[in-house]
Formats: sequence, structure tokens, C-alpha cells
Amino acid sequence: MNYETVIGIEIHCELKTKSKMFSGAPVAVNMQPNTCVNEIDLGHPGVLPSLNKEAVRLSVLACSALNLKINPVVRFDRKNYYYSDLPKGFQITQQFHPIGEHGYIDLELEEGTKRIRINRLHMEEDTAKQYHADDETWIDFNRAGTPLIEIVSEADIRSAKEAMAYVEKLRNILVYLDVTDGKMEEGSLRCDINISLREVGTEAFGVKTEVKNLNSISNIERAIQAEVERQSALLNAGDVVEQATRRYDDGTKTTILMRKKEGTVDYKYFPEPNIPPIRLDQKWIESIQTSMPELPDVRHARYIGLGLSDYDAQVLISNKALSDFFDKLLKHTSYVKLAANYCISDLLANISQKELHDESYALKIEEMGQLITGLGKQDISSKQAKDIFVELLKGKDYQATIKELNIEQVSDTSVLSALIESVLAENEQSIIDYHNGKDRALGFLMGQIMKKSKGQANPALTNKLLLEELMKRKA
Amino acid sequence: MDITKLKEMKSVQERVDEAVNKSHAYQADLNAMVSFIDPSEQIENLKHIDPQAPFYGVPVVLKDLVNMKGTVTTGSSGILENYVSPYDATITEKLRAAGAIIIGKSSCDTFGMGGTNMTAWTGPVMNPYDLTRMSGGSSGGSAVLVASGVVPMAIGTDTGDSIRKPASYNNIVGLKPTYGRISRYGVIPYASSLDHVGVFTRNVKDAALSLEVLAGRDDKDMTSSQLPVEAYAKLLNSDLEGKRIGIIQNVIDAIQNRETLNLFKDLCDQLTAKGALVQSIHLDEKLMHAFLPTYYIIANAEATANHANLDGLRFGVLHEGNSMEESMIRSRTAGFGKLLKKRFVIGSYALFTENQEEVFRKAQKVRRLIVEDLKRVLCEVDVVIAPASAQGAPKFDDVSIDQLSSEYLIAENYMALANFSGYPSITVPMGYVDGLPVGVNLTSAAFTEQLLLNVALAVEESTGIKDMIKEPKR
Repeated sequence: MNYETVIGIEIHCELKTKSKMFSGAPVAVNMQPNTCVNEIDLGHPGVLPSLNKEAVRLSVLACSALNLKINPVVRFDRKNYYYSDLPKGFQITQQFHPIGEHGYIDLELEEGTKRIRINRLHMEEDTAKQYHADDETWIDFNRAGTPLIEIVSEADIRSAKEAMAYVEKLRNILVYLDVTDGKMEEGSLRCDINISLREVGTEAFGVKTEVKNLNSISNIERAIQAEVERQSALLNAGDVVEQATRRYDDGTKTTILMRKKEGTVDYKYFPEPNIPPIRLDQKWIESIQTSMPELPDVRHARYIGLGLSDYDAQVLISNKALSDFFDKLLKHTSYVKLAANYCISDLLANISQKELHDESYALKIEEMGQLITGLGKQDISSKQAKDIFVELLKGKDYQATIKELNIEQVSDTSVLSALIESVLAENEQSIIDYHNGKDRALGFLMGQIMKKSKGQANPALTNKLLLEELMKRKA
Repeated sequence: MDITKLKEMKSVQERVDEAVNKSHAYQADLNAMVSFIDPSEQIENLKHIDPQAPFYGVPVVLKDLVNMKGTVTTGSSGILENYVSPYDATITEKLRAAGAIIIGKSSCDTFGMGGTNMTAWTGPVMNPYDLTRMSGGSSGGSAVLVASGVVPMAIGTDTGDSIRKPASYNNIVGLKPTYGRISRYGVIPYASSLDHVGVFTRNVKDAALSLEVLAGRDDKDMTSSQLPVEAYAKLLNSDLEGKRIGIIQNVIDAIQNRETLNLFKDLCDQLTAKGALVQSIHLDEKLMHAFLPTYYIIANAEATANHANLDGLRFGVLHEGNSMEESMIRSRTAGFGKLLKKRFVIGSYALFTENQEEVFRKAQKVRRLIVEDLKRVLCEVDVVIAPASAQGAPKFDDVSIDQLSSEYLIAENYMALANFSGYPSITVPMGYVDGLPVGVNLTSAAFTEQLLLNVALAVEESTGIKDMIKEPKR
């Protein structure tokens, strides 16, 4: 039988704030366990929550970028359950009045643009992190109280590919807004995926399962594939899919049952009495929106406008740190395409993502700009450019490196003509090939001349002289 | 003797020693203290405090729900029997900054959940006027420590009437200000939307002085008010000319005791003679019958969540099991009394998804109606007034109370009005019924503490009952 896959995605995303959602304790990044906690995070008797305004600001930003309608009155609720990673015995969340509702993002897919609706975005606090070792459990409360937003899509996604595109695009938007660092592998962005199948052409949803805590884009694809296979096998055999929570096991490439739906806890949600409803000032919301950072789609359009190919633009914007670098580079050179090429290939090959992100490289962007310009004007050859770049990566200056490497352009026409003469004499077949319309022959001859000149021939001038010489020989 | 006088008459050492000695001497009879705090370090620290500070060297007691760094705070519970506070409540900081010397923690119903003080982990607290009678609760320990002359001021909390009822039973002043006037940060909760911090004193002026010290915005409590704190004590004025006082007629009608009614009538006559416009007002009787169930549903629902943090894992008494979950279950089973468990079950029931609309949400709607009704009345009068209890403190073995009678449902439980609404409310001594003290209660609109204290002062002047000390005698 033919099935259609129906997918909805819940994303938990840690907000990039200095302090926690409801306490003044610092948000921990790679800190010793249990050092970034205070009495509030540990749920000591008598503590009260104080809402982090920055977390609200970041949530407003995220809502705006995801086209969500912002609820001007912020309210919180308690979600009650007992678990050792939940110090208060309840989580403060927004069950009844999420800060954002009814938004969407548009995915650019091969078959065209597809709109994925977003049901809601709400704020909440993270739990502590548990480590299980043999018969012991260790709890790190550093994560307890970290600000989170949860973004829930409608069941509009129809394939693993769309799911990946959705998560990637959403993550990229949030990273551009500086709302989160978006590191899935470190758990600052986590995905739960709801999957069900239905017969093609039918309307009613099938029974869904939820695959929890996927920690990479590729695992999203694999988990969906595995779950679709499992569910269709069940349905084809005349069995039923049981509503359950599952997890993806990377080792066996299958999903594994965590708990069945029946016997789930009643979270007994009710309004949090210690946080009165807060009316957001419309002017404040507007000021957040007007100072919104450039979103990836806008940046993409700008790059296309600068003359980049769609492919180059995509590669750049999918890596915000790289794209930011590129934008800075453009302040120092007007050779946009060359600059993009250098960023995409040479820069990424030599600088780690972390260095790029932290701007901890020695390379001076303005010096790289001079290099690109030199290359663009053909003052230097691409071979020379690569040699110079190696030095620039160490933090050296462009002009100094040129001197140091003894790079001199040979622009003397008599010297160049002699070089061309000798190369042509050695490659008669290439001359014939060229005159028979084989353009590759020109490149070959240029290469030979550059080689002979040890890369020092002025490429633009050499090219011009070579063409003239070839024309002469045709006649 | 009020606090200002006390500071003039006795040295810091004298007044602290006297309080500490009495607190120990009366412990066998009253059982009011849960823990004693050695005051020497605090006295030493006074050198950093301005001697003009309002509580400079004045001994006070905290209800055992109030955190004070480095001291045991049990909430009068079993599960927190060994809990040492790692932080100060905001009011603890404020008291110390004002020079107060905290000499100990007082007994209460576990986590403030009760009206008798009989659920305290350390046992019941005795009423100094008759040791066979109860102190009232939940702030019973604080009430009797003030009434018996141990300290001139003690901190209480009030979720239903937990300051104002024991004040009535113990012949003292009990003030619960507006919700948000005093920070709740660091005070172990019962029910967050109904909980208030307040004080017991032996006269209205000390209550005003205490409120000045404790009130004010606290960024750690989002429900605390930004409104500036007034100089309540300095601005006290008992002039009643033109003040409109409304007798809650429903309460009067529900009281059977003639003596109580006569005392109240005498008082109203005196207030009229002082120029007050005293009139009867009626609250919606049907709503008043719903006070107690509404209160129980909201309070217990919030309480069941508020105390979910007590699992023995991070603090408190741990009863280890074979798994984390089993340890939590064992610790909670051992650490809570029967009554508390009953309340948690009721609270959970009210919150279950299938019941929430019919029980919890309905109770919240009724609460809004009750507050609307009180607002309506407070448009016509400045203050509402009624006896704080129909008679004196009950005996420990009294089982005669009919919990479905109007006298119980209305006359004994109406003061929750001020918790539903968050409005300021004060109990002041009224007189004696069968030889036992009975207080009178006044409630006014939000943040009209000055008005409330002014009328309370007029009441105090009318009855002439102030600065009463009753040493416990067998």
C-alpha cells in the first residue's frame, strides 16, 4: 500500500542569555558541574521566580522572525511532575498562553517553495542534566533553569528531506538572530519528531509516535526513515501502530520504545501564582523588531543582488560565522565573486569553525581584502595568491608578504614575448588545436608560460600577448 | 510598653537576655519555640547598625517558615527537620538591617497549613490565657510568644487567617498587609496566591513600625508592589471624624455568643461617639457559604505543587530506597503528617485535567466573585469590621464544633476575605468572653494600610486593651 508520511516537529532551543530564566545564576557553558546554581535553581524552600527580561526579548525576536502573532500579555503556568532532574517538582512553562502563536516559515525545496505552519512558541525553563553510571545517577544542576523556547510546528511536513530542511532553516534563523548558539550536538537545540502514516489520498491522521531528542540533522533523516519503515511494515502486516514515545538508536539505525502512551502522567497545568501577568509595552516590542538582525533569507537575496550564484549564496548563509566574515571582507574589496570563492574554499580549509565563530584567527581581514583585490586586478596569479594567503593566515600583511616571498610581476613585454615564443615552439600541436576551436589549448599554453616564469608572469598581460601571437600565426 | 519605650528603658543586653530567658522558661508550658538562635553574633553585628534603627537590639522571633542563613528552618514539618537555610529571606535581611535580634523560630501548623497549631511537628502550642486551650494557628508560636511577653514583635504568615485568628485568641494585634506589600521571598509557602507575611505586636503603633521596616518592593518577588512605603507609625492618627465603618452583618447574624455580640456593640457605639459613621453592610450570603470550600480548593491545589520540591534528594530528611523514585516516595511518606497528605490529595484532585474546570477553575471564578462583592462594599464604606472569632480559643479536646453551621462557615472563616482579595486586614483586642480574649477584625481596600492602622488605633483607644502580657501559669 502507498503511505503518506505526516510529520510534526517540536524544537527545544536554549536561549543565549547571561543568567537563567527565573534566577540570577549564570547560564553555564562548559563549567564544572553544580557551580552555576543558586537556591532558586535547586528549588529550595521559599524561593520565588524572577523572570529574565532578556529571555523575553529573545523570544519576541524569534516570534517576529517566524511570523508568529505575539501575545502582548506574558503568562506562565506550572507543569507538575516528579522527577529527580526537576528540582521544584514542577516546571514553569507557558501552557495556556504561549508568547507566540500561528506563524510559519517557507522552505525552498527542489519542487518549489513550501510553507510550514508553526503552531506555537513558548518560553520555559530547562531541567537538570542526569548522568547514569552503572547503578548510580549523577545530577548536574547547572542546566536547571536555563531559558528555553519550544517551537511546535503543525503536521505539515511530509518527508525526511522536508524535516531536515525545516530544522536547518529554523536553526539558521535562530542563530542569525543570536537567540541561540544552535549547537545540536551539545544539546542547545533538541528535536522531538512526531511521525504517522496515512494512506495516500486520505485525510484522517494515522496513529503517531514521537521520536525524542534527536541531536543532529542527519539523525533526523535516519530516524524518520527508520520509523517510516517500521510503521509501514506494521501496517502492511495488518498490525496497528501504538502511540508511544521512542528514541533513535544510532548503532542499530532503528527506533526503540521508551514508553507507551497509556499511563502517561497528568501534568495538572495551572497558572503560576508567583508570576503576575505582564503586559509587554507595544513600543518595546516594536523596538525589538526594528532592530532585528538581518535574516538568512534577506541576506541570501542581498548576495544574489551582488552577483553571487544561488549555490554560493546558499553555502555562505548556511554558515553564519562564515557569512559574517564574508560581509566584513567585502568592506575591503569589490571583487565579490572572488571573495566568495576564497571564503568558501580556502578560508574554510584553513580555519576551524570554532576559530571562525570566536574570531580567534590571526588572519587580518583587511589584508585578505588586498589579496582578493590584487588577484582580481591580476596583479598576482592565483598560484601566488595561494602562497601569500598561507602567510596572511599567520597574521602577516599583504605588502610585506609580497616582498618577503620575492613575488614580482614580470610585466616587461620583451621578456614575456620571449617566454611565449619558446612555449609556442615547444607546443605546436596546441596551436593547431586552438585554431581548431579547442579553447582548452589556450589554458594549457598559459599554464606552461606561468610555469616557465615561476608564476611571476603578469597573467593579464601574458594572456593578451599570447592571444595576439596566436592570431598572428593563424594568418 | 511599646518598642520605642522598650529601647529607652532597657539596654540591648537586658532586653535580649530577658527575651531569651523567657523563651526558655516558658517552653515547657507553651511549647512555642522550634529552635533557639544564639543572639551573641547578631548583638556583635549591631556595631554596624545605626542605633536609631527602628529595631535596634530589639528581640524578635521568626515563624519557622522564614529562612535565615545558617539556621534550622523546619516549617514545623518532619521532612525539613534537619534543613539548614542556605540563604536569607528578604524580610530576614530587612529585620537585621533594622537592628532586630532574631532569637529563634516559632512553631506553626506544618507549612502554615492549619488553624490550630496542632499539626506542628513539635506538637501543639498552648494558649497562655488557659493552657488547656489552643493558641490558634497557623502562626500559633509567634502569637503566644508576643502575648506572653517574650518578644514585642514576631513574624507570622497568613493564608486564611493564620495571623488574625491567633491574635484574637491571644489578646494581641495581628496585621496582615496588602498582598505584595511585604516580600514573600525566602518564606516557605503554603499557597502562593493567598500567602501573606505579617506581624504580631502588643499595640497598633508597633504594628505600624514593623510594617515600615518590612514593607517595600523586592525584585526577588515579582508579586511585590512598587508603591512607596509610608511612614505608618509617624502618620498614625486615631481621628475617626467622617470615617465610614461597615459592620459585616452576615457575621454578626451568624454569631450565637451574646457576650461577644455585646462587646462588639459596645465597641461600635464608642466608634460612633468618636465621629465614625458606623453602618451595617451585607455581603452575598451564598458566596460566604462558599468561602471555606473555595479556600480549600485553591490553597491545597497551590500547596500540592509548592511542596513538590520536598523529596529528600537535595535537602531535608532522606529515606533511601532502591531507586531515585523510591527514595522520593519514602522520604515524602515519612516526612509528612496525615493531614498534610490529605490536603495534597485534595489539591491534586482539584487540578486533575478531568476535574480542573469543575473544581479548581470554578473555585477561582468564585474567588473573583467574592472579591467583586467586597469591592462593592468598600465603595460604600472605608473599613469593614466584625469580631475576629465568635468566642475565645477552643479547648484542645473540643469536638463540639459543627463544621457545617453558619457560625463556623461564616463567623469563624470570613477573614479569608482579605486573602482572596489581598486587602490589608488587622485584628485588635476587643475584650473578654468567659474570661478569654476575643479580638475584632478590620479590613480595608488595597494599599490603604495607613487608614486601616488609624482606625485600628481608634479601636485600641476605645477598648483600652493594649500592651497586654499574660505569663503562662499552670
